[in-house]
Amino acid sequence: MKEERSMPDKSELLLGCAPITEKPGIDRAMRVAINRARHGKKAATFGHQQAFDAAIAKLVRDIPVDAEIAEWFAKENLVPVVRHGWKRIVRNPVVIAIAIALLVIGAVASYRVYEHFHDFPGADKARRLLTVGASNRSVLLDPLQTDAGALSDLFFLKHRLEHYDVPSEFAEFRTLGTRVFDDDEVRRVAQIWIKEKRMQFFLFPAEPDKDGKVTDFSDWRFVELEGWTGAVTQRNGVCFMAALHGGEKDLRPYLDKKKQ
Amino acid sequence: MAVTTKNLPQLYRFCFLMTGDASKAQSAFQDTVREAASRSAGDEPPPDRLWFFRDARGRCLAVGEQGLQAEPGMLEEAEISPMAPEQIASLAPAQLALWISAAPEPQRSALALFYLDEFSLAELLSLLEMKAGEFSELICSGRRQFQSWLDSTIAYYEGGAFDAGQI
Repeated sequence: MKEERSMPDKSELLLGCAPITEKPGIDRAMRVAINRARHGKKAATFGHQQAFDAAIAKLVRDIPVDAEIAEWFAKENLVPVVRHGWKRIVRNPVVIAIAIALLVIGAVASYRVYEHFHDFPGADKARRLLTVGASNRSVLLDPLQTDAGALSDLFFLKHRLEHYDVPSEFAEFRTLGTRVFDDDEVRRVAQIWIKEKRMQFFLFPAEPDKDGKVTDFSDWRFVELEGWTGAVTQRNGVCFMAALHGGEKDLRPYLDKKKQ
Repeated sequence: MAVTTKNLPQLYRFCFLMTGDASKAQSAFQDTVREAASRSAGDEPPPDRLWFFRDARGRCLAVGEQGLQAEPGMLEEAEISPMAPEQIASLAPAQLALWISAAPEPQRSALALFYLDEFSLAELLSLLEMKAGEFSELICSGRRQFQSWLDSTIAYYEGGAFDAGQI
C-alpha cells in the first residue's frame, strides 16, 4: 500500500538523487546534504539507499558487452576527441573577470613600483605631509602675514630650527599663517600657509639614504597623493615642499620662474 | 571529458537498460556511433559526450514505442530494505534491464542514466531536461517500486536470497 508522503525539502530532494560514487566537483549543496544525512537521524535510511544504489550500479557494470560490440570500442579514432579551443576558454566570463582583475592588480603594482623607483629619500615623509595638508584647516595655524622668506629667522629664533629656509622661488609669497609641530614619523615640521592658490609649504628634516648619508638635491622632485602634489627640494639637510591641490603642471610655473 | 573507448561501453549499457534487449541495444548503439562518425567526417563532430547519450536515448525511445507502453503510477512501492543489496546481487543484469526498460518515460531514462554512475547531477538534468526535484522524485519512486518488485520476486531469508523466478 502507498504511504502518504509529506512534501520533501530541498536537501531531501538532493539526497534522493545523491551520487552513487562521490566524484570530485560534486555540488556544494549536495555535499552538505550528504554530510547531514550521514550524521543525522536518517543515517540508517540513507545508508540503505546508498547500499541499494551501489548494488544496482554494480549490476549495471556487469552488463556483458559481446565481442561484436567490443570491436567498436577498439576503433579509438572513430570519434575524434573534441578539445576546448583557446577561444572558448578566453570567452569564459570567469576567465575574463580573472584576467581583468589581474590586469588591474598588475597595473597598480607597476605604477607603485614605477613611483617608488623614482622616489628620493624622504618621499614617504613628503607624502605623509600631503595628507596633513589635505586635512588641515587654516585655523590650526597662528595667523601671520609676512613674506614667506622672512620666516627662516622666526623658525630659528623661536623654535631653534636651523636651515628651515624657504627657497627663493617661493620666498616672496605672502603668508596667511604658520605653525611648528612634531610628527611621529617626520619629526619637527614647519608648516606655512600662503595666499597664492591656498598653497602650503612644509619644511622638515631630510631622510638619510641607504648608506646613512644625507645627500642634498637642488632640483625639484615631485610626489603625488590623492589629488595633491608636492614639489620637494633639499638643502642643508632640510627638505622644503610646496604643496597644492592639483597636479604637477600647477606647480611648474612657480619652479620655472627662477630659471627665467 | 572526451568521448573515448572508455565511454562507449557505458553507452552500450545505457542502450541495454533502455531497451532491455541486446539486439535492440546493439542497433541503437551502433546507429549512434555511426552518426557521430559521419558528423566527424563532415567536420561537425559531436560537441560533447552528452550528445552520444542524447542521441542514443532518442533511438532507444523510438525502438520502445513499437511495443507496449508502461503507464506511470501503476506499480506498488515498498521502503528500501537493508537486505536489498543481497537481493540485487542475486539478479542477472538482464533482469534489471528488463525492469528499467518497462518503466514509463521519463523515469526509464532517469533510472538508466542515474545507475550508469557516469554523470554529475547537472549533466543528468541537462540530459533529461528536467529540474532536480522532478528527477529526484523519479529516482526515489523508482527505488521503492524496484524494492517492491524485488520483495515479490526475490524473497530474502537469513541464509540467502530465493529467486521466485517471476521474470
